[in-house]
Amino acid sequence: MMMWERIKKSKQGLGLILFILIVMMLGIFAPIFTPNDPYKTNLVMKFQAFSMEYPLGTDHLGRCILSRLIYGIRPTLFLAIVTMVGTILIGSLMGILSGYFKGWIDELIMRIVDVMLSFPSQIMIFAVIALLGVNVINVILANIFIKWAWYARMIRTKVLQYREKDYILYSRCIGSSGWYILIKHLIPNISSDLVVLATLDIGWALINISTLSFLGLGVQAPTPEWGAMLSEAKNFMTTNPVQMFAPGVAILLTVSAFNLLGDVMRDILDPKEVIK
Amino acid sequence: MIVYIIKRILVSILLIFAVTFICFVFINMIPSDPAEVVLRVRQTPIITEEAIKEVTQALGLDDPYFIRYLKWLRNCLRLDFGVSYINPSRTVWGEFTRTLPDTILLALSSLIIVIIVSIPTGFFCAIFKDSLFDRVVRILVFATTSMPAYVVGLLLMWLISYRLKLLPTSGSGGFRHIIMPSITIAMTYISTYIRLIRNNMLENMKEDYVVYAKVRGLNPWRISIFHILKNSLQSCMVAIGMSIPQLISGTMVVENVFAWPGLGKLCIASIFNRDYPIIQLYILFVGILFVLFNLIFDILQHLADPRIRSLS
Repeated sequence: MMMWERIKKSKQGLGLILFILIVMMLGIFAPIFTPNDPYKTNLVMKFQAFSMEYPLGTDHLGRCILSRLIYGIRPTLFLAIVTMVGTILIGSLMGILSGYFKGWIDELIMRIVDVMLSFPSQIMIFAVIALLGVNVINVILANIFIKWAWYARMIRTKVLQYREKDYILYSRCIGSSGWYILIKHLIPNISSDLVVLATLDIGWALINISTLSFLGLGVQAPTPEWGAMLSEAKNFMTTNPVQMFAPGVAILLTVSAFNLLGDVMRDILDPKEVIK
Repeated sequence: MIVYIIKRILVSILLIFAVTFICFVFINMIPSDPAEVVLRVRQTPIITEEAIKEVTQALGLDDPYFIRYLKWLRNCLRLDFGVSYINPSRTVWGEFTRTLPDTILLALSSLIIVIIVSIPTGFFCAIFKDSLFDRVVRILVFATTSMPAYVVGLLLMWLISYRLKLLPTSGSGGFRHIIMPSITIAMTYISTYIRLIRNNMLENMKEDYVVYAKVRGLNPWRISIFHILKNSLQSCMVAIGMSIPQLISGTMVVENVFAWPGLGKLCIASIFNRDYPIIQLYILFVGILFVLFNLIFDILQHLADPRIRSLS
């Protein structure tokens, strides 16, 4: 694909992709890379300093911080990715429906989108979680719920832009079905814009999910998740600052990587208009 | 012009009705029976059919849906939002007014920091475009977009309170307590406004009036401050004004980090306690705030900028 060819030429882009892939691999194969069991508590060994056995020391329950950090990649990063996949699916579906069929479907969907976009997103997340209860799945639902409208509007604009193009008119003339045109002509045109936006928004989703976990509204305590780890570490800030720095720095690095990659890709692919 | 203002006001009134309706539906969408929830959170030992019936009647839950909405709306206008589920001796309005001043204080001090820091920084970035200063600021602006507020807050707390022992870690009490939370909140907004002012000024620099002012031989600093900055600030002020409700609702996370006894902390506690009336009022408040601020600054912008006026 064109997109990949162009990304390959950018050293910065490749480096960032490599970094993100390494983080993902660490998360997927966590049991191989971790020196200790992330759940095993050992009160005798609490607040240990750096050592061969515990490379980043231990936390207030004597659990290995490095192991928890690596296991923490799983919920932190993968929930963000699940959120984005869900957002893109629903947003694209709504955007394509609205842009392709026009008429009352378009009116209806766009009015809903207007309402969604005019409310503060943070409050909407809290409202959804308050309504559905504190739960990881609800956090994902809440995030998708507030974000899909951005994508629906962006994709609708794109679809409207492309649907009058000559080659699509031609394709329709020779009798291609609506779905064929959609999959063969429209989606490839939209995909590069979608990839850029999605990369930038994974960082956003990551911040959101870890913030909710930090507040205790997302991933719950014993599970190693970076936001939840910070929330625990907060109480031992004076005695054991490493416990706080490890997940904090991990979040900063991962979010920066996604944001930088999104920026680099936007420069490379140069979509003419990017919303937000 | 007047037609436009009246139209905007009417639309806003409709929107406010929509907000109230959403808030009303919200509390009726709770998966469990509200009467049962009330009994459970009051820790009634045995929940009997009679007790549920009694509470249902006391709260007027057996009326038709629309009647209940009207009743609820009437009570809202009287500022009667019912009592807290957790602590029936406390009214929701009382809890709200108790915590609101703290949140407004925090939001206001963050706003002041945002304005004081971002306007000069954005100004100098635009004047010295692509200089070392501009590039450093651009990197910093990018870095802050990758920093969640709570991580920044914790790092500040560790550095300033524990290492340097300059400020108290948390709680509220005096001027010293408000510094760290407001800096943390301001952090996320400063980057947006630096970028906004910088780009706005760069755009204005290309305008004809700047060339004319230069031809007239005016002092370049005079042009930058009294012509370019003045014109850029107009649109930036509208953007800042419209983001005030966001600032107020955005204090939520930071309030929890620094144990600031404001609205956001109350709301998170209410989510844990399933104290739905308080959450409802919070959503209602923020929703109305949004509609009102958008209305006010939209009209102000129309009054201030003749170009937009001629469009409508």
